[in-house]
Amino acid sequence: MGHSDAASPAPAPAARDARKKRGNRTAAKLKQSKLETRRGQWLNNSGQGNDGKDAKVAASPTGAGSNAGSPILASPHPPLPRRRVDSRSRGSDPEDREEAGATGLEVGGSDLDSPMHSPGSDKSQGSGCGTQRKGFSGNGHGPSPSSGSSVWSSSRSVSDAEEDTGSPEDENEVLDDWEAAADALYEDDSHCHHSSVPTTPPPAPTTAAPANAARPEAIRSKARAWAPDDKFRPQSLPSISKQASFPASIGNCWAGMGMSAAQQGILSLPVSCPICYEDLDPTDSSFLPCPCGFHLCLFCHKRILEADGRCPGCRKQYNTASAVEEGGGGAKGPTVGTGREMANIASVRLFRSCSMGPRY
Amino acid sequence: MARGENQESQTGNVPAAAPGPKPASAGGGKGAEGQSVVRRLQSELMALMMGGDPGVSAFPEGDNIFNWVGTIAGSAGTPYEGTSYRLALAFTAEYPYKPPKVRFDTPCFHPNVDAHGNICLDILQDKWSSAYDVRTILLSIQSLLGEPNNDSPLNTQAAGLWANQEEFRKMVEKLYKPAA
Repeated sequence: MGHSDAASPAPAPAARDARKKRGNRTAAKLKQSKLETRRGQWLNNSGQGNDGKDAKVAASPTGAGSNAGSPILASPHPPLPRRRVDSRSRGSDPEDREEAGATGLEVGGSDLDSPMHSPGSDKSQGSGCGTQRKGFSGNGHGPSPSSGSSVWSSSRSVSDAEEDTGSPEDENEVLDDWEAAADALYEDDSHCHHSSVPTTPPPAPTTAAPANAARPEAIRSKARAWAPDDKFRPQSLPSISKQASFPASIGNCWAGMGMSAAQQGILSLPVSCPICYEDLDPTDSSFLPCPCGFHLCLFCHKRILEADGRCPGCRKQYNTASAVEEGGGGAKGPTVGTGREMANIASVRLFRSCSMGPRY
Repeated sequence: MARGENQESQTGNVPAAAPGPKPASAGGGKGAEGQSVVRRLQSELMALMMGGDPGVSAFPEGDNIFNWVGTIAGSAGTPYEGTSYRLALAFTAEYPYKPPKVRFDTPCFHPNVDAHGNICLDILQDKWSSAYDVRTILLSIQSLLGEPNNDSPLNTQAAGLWANQEEFRKMVEKLYKPAA
């Protein structure tokens, strides 16, 4: 109980650490070397803890019967573990759950002093590689359900698809690339779970691997992308340079796609409405109701349309100007102007949706 | 959207309250409408104080940001060179969609200024644009001093005398009563 309680808040800092870690290679190397040793420790322990009673005892008080491993997972990221729990309860048998509890316990207990125990627990999931690859590839090829960062996920998907060209037998060679890809991907981990059913037999040689087929992605996704089968991994393997190259490339696409467009579109325009002096939002900034180029916010434009309907910049009637632009000679008064206004707004929305991803 | 709704709902009672003697209370009680006017006037004040346009200045009169006092210096090369005129600017809650009421406080002998200081200037009436502000108003009046529109005079005597710049200058100086 005490162990699991102490361990439960830890994965969140660990995940955060792992994210920060991309920018901090030396620290990452240090931690990884530490984790190598911890992984060894855990592997020794896990074999014994598989059938041990204490594992069950530790898991049961906090765990809600059906998914004993969840408490440790569930506490840091409440929304995510629900889905993980589902997949787990589908695919795993009681032994698995017990062992899940044992895993969490061991990890929590042995790595209490370190915020990086999460990768350790990650490594313990021997079968993670096969399932993880599957999950990621599914994410990469399928429609990415990313909520906010479509560009990020798409950029990752590309690299991911590249990784998937390697066959599972090439595990060792692909491992570095895969690790980098998975590391960059794991922020989207919430989107990977649905596709991570363990259909492919995991190639990892760890003893616990086959039984844990359903579980690994749950834990892994929170942790850094470690190669699960450390037996195949040289001690000096962690190629953090590749991991670090991901944020760089993301930054490039960020700068190349989003910011430049946004800057060209917005920064050349007045910052505030010349009428009401309120700040112009992107909609207002792209709103050009008059050919003279006078910018104003939508509120002021509406207000002026209700009055004399003349552009403050050139004093021409708004609706006549818009009628000329539309090519329609029929001067329908304000309706023409508002129709054009709506068209403007629509195009503006389009523009914003395009630039949304990179900017946020 | 709250802004837009407020504007719509309050458009009706703006004219009643705006010309009242206490526009400040109108600004305070008008919600978004009055607030936006206050905001704009404050921004203009900041710009005026920072900008330092030569020959024109303006500042709110007392605590009421809806009533300003402006000052215009006569441009060099005009009969008004060396003179300085005070003006009163009264903003409504509809500013800047409607022009402020601008009046000369200092008596001004000019074809387009009447004996009460009222100014006949197109941009203060039908040619008003909400893109104008205090600064452009004052600069326009300053240029009006040197370039009167003698076709629609308020002061016919001044309009008739404009052709004779020396006499006109004498009249300007004679009637000039600078504020203490």
